[in-house]
Amino acid sequence: MTETRAVTTADTGREGRPRKVGGRAPSAYYWMVWPALALFAFFHTLPVLVGVFFSFTNYAGFGTWDFIGIGNYVNLFRDDRVLAAYGFSFGFALVATVLTNVISLAIAMGLNAKIVGRNTFRGIFFVPYVIAILVIGYVFQFLFSNSLPKLFPEIPLIADNMLSNPNWAWVPIVVLAVWQASAFAIIIYLSGLQTIPQELYEAASLDGARPWRQFRSITFPLISAFFTINMVLSLKGFLQVFDHIVALTNGGPGTATESITMLIYKGGFTGGEFAYQTANAVIFVIVITVVSLIQFRVLQRREADF
Amino acid sequence: MTRLDFFQFKGEALEDFTAIIADFEAENPDIDVVQNQVADADTVIRTRLVKDDVPDVMTLNGNGGLGQLMRAGVFHDFTGDPLLETINPGVQQILSDIGFADGEVNALGYVNNANGVIYNREIFAEQGLEVPETWDEFIAVCDALEAAGVTPFFGTLADSWTALPSFNALGAYPAQDGFFDQMRAEGDTVGPDSAVSFEKDFGTALDQQSQLFSYAQAGYRGRTYDDGNAAFANGEVAMLLQGIWALNPVKGINPDIDAAIFPYPAADDPDDRLLVSGVDVAVLIGKDTPHLAEAERFVEYLFRPDVIEKFAASQTMIPSVIGAELSDDPALQSVKPYFDDNRITGFIDHQVPPSIPLAAIVQGFLLNGDTEAALATLDNEWRKVAARTTTSGD
Repeated sequence: MTETRAVTTADTGREGRPRKVGGRAPSAYYWMVWPALALFAFFHTLPVLVGVFFSFTNYAGFGTWDFIGIGNYVNLFRDDRVLAAYGFSFGFALVATVLTNVISLAIAMGLNAKIVGRNTFRGIFFVPYVIAILVIGYVFQFLFSNSLPKLFPEIPLIADNMLSNPNWAWVPIVVLAVWQASAFAIIIYLSGLQTIPQELYEAASLDGARPWRQFRSITFPLISAFFTINMVLSLKGFLQVFDHIVALTNGGPGTATESITMLIYKGGFTGGEFAYQTANAVIFVIVITVVSLIQFRVLQRREADF
Repeated sequence: MTRLDFFQFKGEALEDFTAIIADFEAENPDIDVVQNQVADADTVIRTRLVKDDVPDVMTLNGNGGLGQLMRAGVFHDFTGDPLLETINPGVQQILSDIGFADGEVNALGYVNNANGVIYNREIFAEQGLEVPETWDEFIAVCDALEAAGVTPFFGTLADSWTALPSFNALGAYPAQDGFFDQMRAEGDTVGPDSAVSFEKDFGTALDQQSQLFSYAQAGYRGRTYDDGNAAFANGEVAMLLQGIWALNPVKGINPDIDAAIFPYPAADDPDDRLLVSGVDVAVLIGKDTPHLAEAERFVEYLFRPDVIEKFAASQTMIPSVIGAELSDDPALQSVKPYFDDNRITGFIDHQVPPSIPLAAIVQGFLLNGDTEAALATLDNEWRKVAARTTTSGD
């Protein structure tokens, strides 16, 4: 029933035929939509457009400025520091996305099983998502710079404070990010797992399918839409990694853990290159959008195979 | 009754200025000074300038950011002010190197810091060591300490900025004689073959810096500024590669420590030694303030020798007024001759555009020890920033 009506409405909409009889929704809906649209446009779209405008100037954040065309964009592509930041952001995002999804899928399956204290566990595993990253980040910072070196003084890498090692400082950031992001991914996987009818597993086990076979042939295909969403959200979120780095390394040691967002913030505010880094931000928005769309298409096509 | 809006950036000086203002108002009943102290003063003053809401009187830190603001021409020009005659010319030179608006004098240096090696006088006396006056003597002191089982330095490379004090001090020698003016003139052609460049002129300074860090304690890569102050305060190491500002926190841990400062003796001739000093507090007046006469009266009061002496002693800083007495703190007394003889020079990081991640590059260099790569990176960053500034028609 519902489906049919939805189709009819959509059809009418596409043809654009004005519906005279009882076509308009009650005015209350407009009162809900228009203020929201106005607020969104004013607080989100307008600042974005202003930012795009300033990316074509040499504005320092204060004082006077001139219009300089695409100079900032040309210089961005010649800036090896920007390229290095992209390298770090993408490398970090790939590792963190894979780890987050593997770990949270495993935990979600555990939390979906009939275990004792299931609801308590579900509550506990969600806690990391509730705490601010900065707050927990400083706890992790203390852990990596003070506690772990005292616990494992015989392992040189850990004893010497991993955060100040240019080659390995990314590891603590990944640990923090995965630990924090898994909570949300678990929730999505849990809701996905709950859509799978139990009878499928019963039938499969009668046919002699072992747990791994059941996972490959039932669980994973049936939650693949949730997998897609999680992959896209994780990658997008991790590409924009910022708080974690502020709390743990502040982009250091050297510039070893400088992500794109970190570079935009540092160069734009303390570096006094507001317009230049705004151009960087504009490009970054485009990159993230394109990456997410591609990822979505690829993963969705895989979904359809089953 | 005139109200003066007094913007003051230094949180730890809040009480000192409250006392100064109370005394000033007692002498000048027609003026009401309102102290305005916020946590993130650098950002707040910028937003106020953007809104054209310039305070009547300001104190700000004499860093590279202040130079940017002064060049924007939003401050009063002190040219011809009799106060200028009373201020140490070396201090005013440091401010002018940071960058005044063309032909103007936009700021008065109030109190100065000193960037030198902090040393424990007790340990030096026990080991029979003298303050080194040349580079070879410095290294000999380090070797002697190490032979006696005392760690010479406490390295704190977990914080990137702690790599800068020694870089500023050792880099000050090659940066003399207009090095940065030439660098700015060369702009995007800076490199190994240009007349001046980091690759060409800073090799020795960086080698010296990494040589000093080879005398630091084990695990210096992972320790922080606070760790270093605590270790020095407890007598675990003989020296710190820091500046005078570290003495207050050190004394907070051990009030009885006998510490003093000497400049980095990078030169061969002891007479060529330079003390790197920055203007910790600069005093400025807003351009076009409606209360210029009152603002000038307040600024004159701030620079009265007894007022500035008391303030400087409380902040462990060096007053800029010629003839003002230093407190008898040995650390301050040890650097006094450099101020008296005008053998001071500014922080070189104030000359490097803030968009170059100088602290990160120097920290990275001290971690991996690759002098050539660090110098090439510095020149490369300089070229890129210069190219960007040119295209923006600046």
